[in-house]
Amino acid sequence: MKKRYSIATILLIAGMVFGLSSIASADEPIVIKVGLPTVLSGPAAPWGQIGMEPYLTWIELFNKEGFKVGGKTYNFKLITVDDKNTPEGGAAAAKQLIYGDKVKFLVGHWSWNFPAVSAVANQAKVIFMTRTGNEAVPGGLYDPKKMPYVVFANPSQEQFVSDLFALVDAFPKYKKIGLLDCTIGKGPGWDLVEAALKKAGIRYTNEWFPFGTQDFAPYITRFKEAGVDIVYVAGWVGESMAFAKQRWEMGYKDMKVGHSGPFVSVGMYNAVCGQDAAQGFIGQYWANWDFKKTTVNPKYVKMCQDVMKIVSKKQGKPFVYTGWIGWLPSHLLILAQAMQKAGTVDDTDAIMKAIRGGTFDSTTGKWTMSGAKAYGSPVVFGTPSALSMIQGDKEIYLSEHPMKPLP
Amino acid sequence: MPPVGIWIDGLIQSCTYMTMAFGMVLVFSILGILNWAHGQFYMMGAFVFYYAVTAAGIPFPVSLLISGVLVGGLGILVQKFIIERVNIPSAQGALYVTVATIALIFFFEGAASMIFGMQDKGLAMVLPGVLDLGSFSVSYQKIAVVIFTLVIMITMYIVLNHTKVGLAIRAAAQEPNAASLYGINVKRLSLLVMGIGCALAAMAGGIMAPVYIINPFIGGVPMIMSLLAIVIGGLGSLTGAIVGGLILGFLNSVVAYHLSYFSEVVLFVLVIIILLVRPQGLFGASRK
Repeated sequence: MKKRYSIATILLIAGMVFGLSSIASADEPIVIKVGLPTVLSGPAAPWGQIGMEPYLTWIELFNKEGFKVGGKTYNFKLITVDDKNTPEGGAAAAKQLIYGDKVKFLVGHWSWNFPAVSAVANQAKVIFMTRTGNEAVPGGLYDPKKMPYVVFANPSQEQFVSDLFALVDAFPKYKKIGLLDCTIGKGPGWDLVEAALKKAGIRYTNEWFPFGTQDFAPYITRFKEAGVDIVYVAGWVGESMAFAKQRWEMGYKDMKVGHSGPFVSVGMYNAVCGQDAAQGFIGQYWANWDFKKTTVNPKYVKMCQDVMKIVSKKQGKPFVYTGWIGWLPSHLLILAQAMQKAGTVDDTDAIMKAIRGGTFDSTTGKWTMSGAKAYGSPVVFGTPSALSMIQGDKEIYLSEHPMKPLP
Repeated sequence: MPPVGIWIDGLIQSCTYMTMAFGMVLVFSILGILNWAHGQFYMMGAFVFYYAVTAAGIPFPVSLLISGVLVGGLGILVQKFIIERVNIPSAQGALYVTVATIALIFFFEGAASMIFGMQDKGLAMVLPGVLDLGSFSVSYQKIAVVIFTLVIMITMYIVLNHTKVGLAIRAAAQEPNAASLYGINVKRLSLLVMGIGCALAAMAGGIMAPVYIINPFIGGVPMIMSLLAIVIGGLGSLTGAIVGGLILGFLNSVVAYHLSYFSEVVLFVLVIIILLVRPQGLFGASRK
């Protein structure tokens, strides 16, 4: 009798354990691996490295809830490989991520190896979320038919133009904007930028400097003689800082300077330019809690603010870089919502169908994928094009010019 | 006519190229090699100077000397343990040295990235402010560059012309075999010269650190420009290095003012013309 009770007890316990574990596994989120080919070495590495901690923290917060597709809960797992900002590095990173790590998607990409990464991703039928850089689109490299899995989740090409509109909004009495870029950035993208500026009636002039230039006196003088009072640099952070410092030393203190790209740290600008010369320096701003013209889902605003706090605590000093907000989290939100719309996490074509022309709620606002006429496919996401400027040792909101949907 | 600011800018660039080119030519004269990692010694000098000023709080002139001594010492180690070993007395020796010093470029840049990080650094707080001269102004940092270059050039002149070491260097540069016969230890002298050459590059990097930005990749352009300067001035000529650096600095600034980014094309065309018309440069000895 005792033996029969013991067997029954064991069976009952085993049944409960088995049952509970079945319930637990039904609720256990399924992990979707996403790959981030990014710059972790070489001169542009600071911009790759600084995003890692907030990306991982944001994913951790996002995964608490995850997202549901077909009744199942999914989480993201980020795998990062250094793409060295070179074509070979980009192709190798994409191959490693897709074939080695078996990621389902490539996200958060911004480096200068679009053609190489795109070739690998499209061949493998892996959705590749990147930006509309000078080398990606205007150069004729992007072909919607040959690259059906490319999504321009950051319209950087168009954002540059929108930034200039935001500059004009901030300084309506400007005389002329000086656009400065390195000769290696000179390409068909500039024709598009200039066409947009001419159409909008914006007064501007261009200068290009050879790669490696640290001395900007000739360019500063040329801008001054051309009547330029605002200089906006296409990226090139170190060069922008050198420019700002040198224009101050040359006595052209009324010449405003800014660059496309967010501030890695205001302290760096103060250290390189000098506190006085760095004041008023303009940069891109992704702090969604400060946006005035773009509405962002309060849930995502809170998440981003929480990430800033957590990373600050982890690093033991205030974390102020906001650039990360506009990239990987936004890409992952587009992906998650597209999978929900498509009702699948595996059918790449169905997910791409949901992305094309779809509207997505992201960390930088709700935007509809546009660009059907301009790009041959509506795969271009929007941007708030918000700017900030340095004041003391902080950056403060300056202006905003949300991008109009592309035709 | 370019405005005064452009001429001042040209002078500052000239100062960098002169100091860099002088060190490079000095090494070439004695060792017969081109140190392709010369720009990376410039970069390391900037970093040593940066940390001496910011982390250790050492006054900037002393920091400059420290950067010269430390990086010069590193140059001696490179000469002793790498260049001397690969520079075998054969036709391939020079090629091996070239490959080794090119490899050092990547080694030093990689090491600096790991040790110092890749984020741009600045020393705007060293000698801040500008001297306002009415229609133009010039920063105290740039004035310091000119004073530093003058001091270096005068010191090098005295060392080379009025000291035993200088005499030995000049003797070894002109006739190494004869110099050996007169008891000059050319091997030891080579170490010293490599140390001086690298120290000059490091101090140039240090004095320019407050003017420009500091990161592991700043050495490339000064290296190329100093190479152009010694081609213009004449490979192996110390006077040529100074004159070449002076010409190149002013040309770079004035041509960029007139022709913007075409300045680079103009400079390289000029160098090609000099190589075709006067391959020995302005002050180099003719091969005939």
